[in-house]
Amino acid sequence: MRRILLTVWCFMIAATGSARAEDLQIGLANDVVSITSNFSGSDVVVFGSIEKGDPRLLLTHSYEIVVSLIGPRRPATVRRKQRTLGIWVNGASQDFKNVPSSYSLASTSQLSGIAPTQRLLSRQIGIRNLNLQVGDTNRNPQETDEFRRSLERLKRQKGLYRERYDGVKFLSPSLFRARLRVPANVPIGQHTARAFLFHDGELLASQSVDLDVRKDGFEQLTYDLAHQNGLLYGIIAVLIAIATGWIASVVFRKD
Amino acid sequence: MNLYLPIAEMSVNVLVLFSMGAGVGFLSGMFGVGGGFLMTPLLIFYQIPPAVAVATEANQIVASSFSGALAHFRRGSLDIKLGLVLLTGGIVGSALGVAIFSSLRSAGQLDLIISILYVVFLGTIGTLMLIESLNAIRKSRKQTEPVPQRKSHHTWISHLPFKMRFRRSQLYISVIPVLVLGVLVGILASIMGVGGGFIMVPAMIYLLRVPTNVVIGTSLFQIMFVTIFTTIAQSATNQTVDVVLAFILMVGGVIGAQFGAQMGQKLKGEQLRALLGLIVLAVCLRLGWDLVTTPEELFSLGLGAGH
Repeated sequence: MRRILLTVWCFMIAATGSARAEDLQIGLANDVVSITSNFSGSDVVVFGSIEKGDPRLLLTHSYEIVVSLIGPRRPATVRRKQRTLGIWVNGASQDFKNVPSSYSLASTSQLSGIAPTQRLLSRQIGIRNLNLQVGDTNRNPQETDEFRRSLERLKRQKGLYRERYDGVKFLSPSLFRARLRVPANVPIGQHTARAFLFHDGELLASQSVDLDVRKDGFEQLTYDLAHQNGLLYGIIAVLIAIATGWIASVVFRKD
Repeated sequence: MNLYLPIAEMSVNVLVLFSMGAGVGFLSGMFGVGGGFLMTPLLIFYQIPPAVAVATEANQIVASSFSGALAHFRRGSLDIKLGLVLLTGGIVGSALGVAIFSSLRSAGQLDLIISILYVVFLGTIGTLMLIESLNAIRKSRKQTEPVPQRKSHHTWISHLPFKMRFRRSQLYISVIPVLVLGVLVGILASIMGVGGGFIMVPAMIYLLRVPTNVVIGTSLFQIMFVTIFTTIAQSATNQTVDVVLAFILMVGGVIGAQFGAQMGQKLKGEQLRALLGLIVLAVCLRLGWDLVTTPEELFSLGLGAGH
């Protein structure tokens, strides 16, 4: 039955006679992640479909999909501790100019099997292949790379960088779903979900959509006030403290 | 029961934090101390970023010192004039401290300096407390010689200029040591997230010779205003005060303090001080240990330059 279907499909495609150019469409289950008081991380689900795909490849799931979610880029500094007078002190440091504050990747299989490193590097696919511009330095490349690897490791430890090679599942020959984990400490701002379609190491298509990560309700109010009007925020913090102290002294007054 | 802290930007367990607040509140009620010097290290052990721990703790101390100062104000055991002079120094010190805090933070050395200051202060205070209380316990066992009266001999402080009269404390002393003490405590408040009572109370008694009946009230008065100023200054410059965190700690703290105060009346003073000395030394050793042992992770991640 499957064989017949395949033959029919091939025939139909062949009949149209057009040169194939695969395309990719993606969409988010939710295009906003809102951080509320009980937020402890969440899953971002990306749905996508391969359009104008070769039916033989579709039916055998031969296409490879990589979906990444990149957080807003920010400068970062990595510091290395050294022993000075018996205690461990932050010594040498390395600045990086545009570090994605978070990076989550889901794919159909190991990246090394999907495309050659050079291609992954040029599209910044995978933690190792992100383009982190090194700030001013007169260090040798090995040492700079040690700092860079430490940055990747620290980000992984915080759950901000992660890769899952089984994170993309096919729901039908052309329809797939990727689950990307967003940790509790996810930075707020504009995140970008990007999907890549590969076959035989070649990048066939890519598509991206934006995801807004924002604090909601009380959390947003608090955060915005703290960062936009710190003075007022401080005064309110003090008033809350005084009120608490006063209530305590009324409730527990001994005379 | 997890709660997301808006400024610390992490999910924490409310019950754990509440218990920490109550536990430290219990100790502070029992021993009559502020508790900031125990709370801040505990927050740091709980993975709260040190910058947030320190600034938030200042906010919590506002609540505990306010209810304390209010009680002393009602009883009249408070020298407002002396408190105001201390406060003048305290505000200068706090502003200085917040500026030092910012520059240490951007230089990546804030966590280290906070740890070192804690080890030095907790080590010194804990040791002194332990020695003093053990001596007192030994003496009370002998039950013979009464504690010798403190002689009010003249010190170098009585030769300093700019003298001022403080009626409530029956003092006529130079404002210089008072201001210097205020500045010192203000700096500690903003860098270490402590009220500074553990420095101020002995300094007022032994250096300024303030009568003991007004010392606690006056020190709470000054601590309250300095921590108010510190909270506002930290919010305005470093955005590191987390009101949600502070509120949980405050509520735990005021409740714990009530039970601690009841317990404190049942125990002997010198035994209490020996116990507190041991607790302080334990926290000091824990912080000191982290400074000298080879860390598992040599690298750390900070905000980039320009932040």
